[in-house]
Amino acid sequence: MASRWADDEADKAEALRQKKEKEEKKRLKLQKQQAEQEAAAAAARERELESRPAKRRRLSNDTGSQDVVSQETPAERPLLRFDGGGWGPCRHVSNFETLNHIEEGSYGWVSRAREISTGSVVALKKVKMDYQQQDGFPITALREITILQRARHKNIVSLHEVLSGSDPSEVVLVMEFLEHDLKTLQEDMPEPFLASEVKTLLKQLTSALSFLHSNHILHRDLKTSNILLSNHGHLKIADFGMARYIPPPDARLTQLVVTLWYRAPELLLGTETYGTEIDMWSLGCIFGELLLKEPILQGKNEVDELSRIFALCGLPTDRSWPKFWRLPNAKGLKIPRDSGAKSGGVIRTKFPFLTNAGADLLMSLLSLNPEHRPSADEVLEHAYFREQPKPKPMEMFPTFPSKAGQEKRRKRSPNAPKRGEAPGMQNVDFSGIFANREEEQAGAGFQLRVA
Amino acid sequence: MQPSPLANPLATVVQLETSGSQLDGVPQDLENSIRFAGAQLTQAAGMLLRLPQEVIAQALVVFMRFWIGGDGGSLAEFGAEQVSAASLYTTTKLSAWPKSPRSIINAYAYLATLPSLSPPPEQPKPDSYYVSEGTYQTRRTTLFQAEQRILQTLGFHLHVSLPYTLCITYLQALDIFSHPRAAELAKRAVAYLNTALLSPQLLYLTHQPSSLATAAIYLAAKETGIKMPDVEWWEVFDTDREELGFLVVGLLSVESFAEEERAKWEGRSIPMTVEELEAEMKRGDGGN
Repeated sequence: MASRWADDEADKAEALRQKKEKEEKKRLKLQKQQAEQEAAAAAARERELESRPAKRRRLSNDTGSQDVVSQETPAERPLLRFDGGGWGPCRHVSNFETLNHIEEGSYGWVSRAREISTGSVVALKKVKMDYQQQDGFPITALREITILQRARHKNIVSLHEVLSGSDPSEVVLVMEFLEHDLKTLQEDMPEPFLASEVKTLLKQLTSALSFLHSNHILHRDLKTSNILLSNHGHLKIADFGMARYIPPPDARLTQLVVTLWYRAPELLLGTETYGTEIDMWSLGCIFGELLLKEPILQGKNEVDELSRIFALCGLPTDRSWPKFWRLPNAKGLKIPRDSGAKSGGVIRTKFPFLTNAGADLLMSLLSLNPEHRPSADEVLEHAYFREQPKPKPMEMFPTFPSKAGQEKRRKRSPNAPKRGEAPGMQNVDFSGIFANREEEQAGAGFQLRVA
Repeated sequence: MQPSPLANPLATVVQLETSGSQLDGVPQDLENSIRFAGAQLTQAAGMLLRLPQEVIAQALVVFMRFWIGGDGGSLAEFGAEQVSAASLYTTTKLSAWPKSPRSIINAYAYLATLPSLSPPPEQPKPDSYYVSEGTYQTRRTTLFQAEQRILQTLGFHLHVSLPYTLCITYLQALDIFSHPRAAELAKRAVAYLNTALLSPQLLYLTHQPSSLATAAIYLAAKETGIKMPDVEWWEVFDTDREELGFLVVGLLSVESFAEEERAKWEGRSIPMTVEELEAEMKRGDGGN
């Protein structure tokens, strides 16, 4: 019996080979024919051009469309052709087999999988559909898909395709797989990244941000667990579940964005208009985190987060942030008005090993006033990246054992805020922040305790 | 590679050859009629919801993309009205002007009571388009089902680049705005771009925005009698003579198509739901 099968296989293979050969011959013949035809046509055109007197074409004809079509084709001038691709229905999830689970994110489950036909390893992100039939397909997933389709950049995770399952509500994103995310990686590292490595990472992150912002996209949830790193030191931003295009000026934005530890002060204070500056604040938090190997502003809640920000960066003054008092939640704040000179912050002391240029960059990113934060392009031009030590070349980057390969996460940082939580956010009472410091102020002016 | 922000995904030849509806036995001319009516309905609903034309145009292109190709949606499975509503809903959701399912359903309920989209009646009767809570729940479910199907059929390719701003940029590049009647020309060009959205030839699915804008300017200039440069200026905007000619013919033919449609469906309503389509096809069979 076994030989019977083998025969069959061989026969089939032979038949297939012959068929292929035939097709190849046919193709070649066709090609040759086409080339001949083209050559003939070109010759004809040339003859035509020669025989005809060079006359000026009449362009403003009254006969409408007819003249356009009927006139002779002019000598070919190369025109730009745009390739916008095409579309087709989603493929089925059964084209992939799951290898292992990686993590559960704010709106989906991520797992490592292999495409059966090609053997390539990818990350699959299954969209959670627990929307209680309120809004149809989840807007976060829809935004992530449409934004990733448009945002092709070497430091942004690429979306290969979207799959659908047997159940019509099953939707799975196929993305490239990277071995690490920065958060888990840092937790397992005995020492923080070297200064040169921090520069390489920060530079890649900033160039992705520069690309996003110049394409009018806000990420709105930058944090180390959303930043992936390959074993070759290649960094990519992932998780665009909170991202959106910068809307026209009259549209209102939700303040419920960005995971608490990376949330800019103006968001905590309830601003309704914000822009790319909130991503720059998160970038500053990540910069500090890379240096210290742990998140720098681990607030327990909004109030705690804001007081930690003020403790690190100093207090806002009328001069440094004139619009501060007009923010919705600023009214409840009792900040000593005369604290002016003493509100310098402790960034310099908290990062003793950072060079002056590095400290300058970090402090500018963590400016309380959003208008004082540099843009991504300005960061890329900063002296910090030019001074010694230079950014470490990616090929020289150390490799680490991959956790996403096999193991589950242990610790968790707070998640991005969920839609619909807004009511609680409206009236956060910040009045308690400085309650216990009233006395200090009464004494020799407001003082920050440098612990 | 970063796709050009000005380019659209285009339909392939194979996709243009057939459609989900034709595979289900819907005659092509009937399909054209329904698609045309569905497009007009989408435009009307968008205006009723006070959406900017750019959002309506995107919804229209999504609506058109849904039906084509053997893998495309079929009128035997989804009514044109349902898909029109879902296209508009999904598009607004991604735009800066999101609309609730209730607004969408109310707008379509109102439009369904009109005998024809133009001109609107003087005395609307509110009780004729009142949506009860039960009806709302059912319609919302079908709205979400159609949305899901649109997304899967298009493989989530919802992005639509529009020619409107390009058209203005081209007019500026041609230095038209120094002409006293430039506004008239620009208006006509935009009108042609809106017309193209309804075209049975699916011009937005077969041509890039740059060519659409160029053809619209060409026609508008001809109509207003404003002189264009005496060279092949369209090539500057990446449109060759053949493409321009095709688009010009296509744009001009929409009007006569609309007239024919009006005459053809005089006194009858175009089947906008699956049930109406089935009835229409039975009637057609009986007639033959």
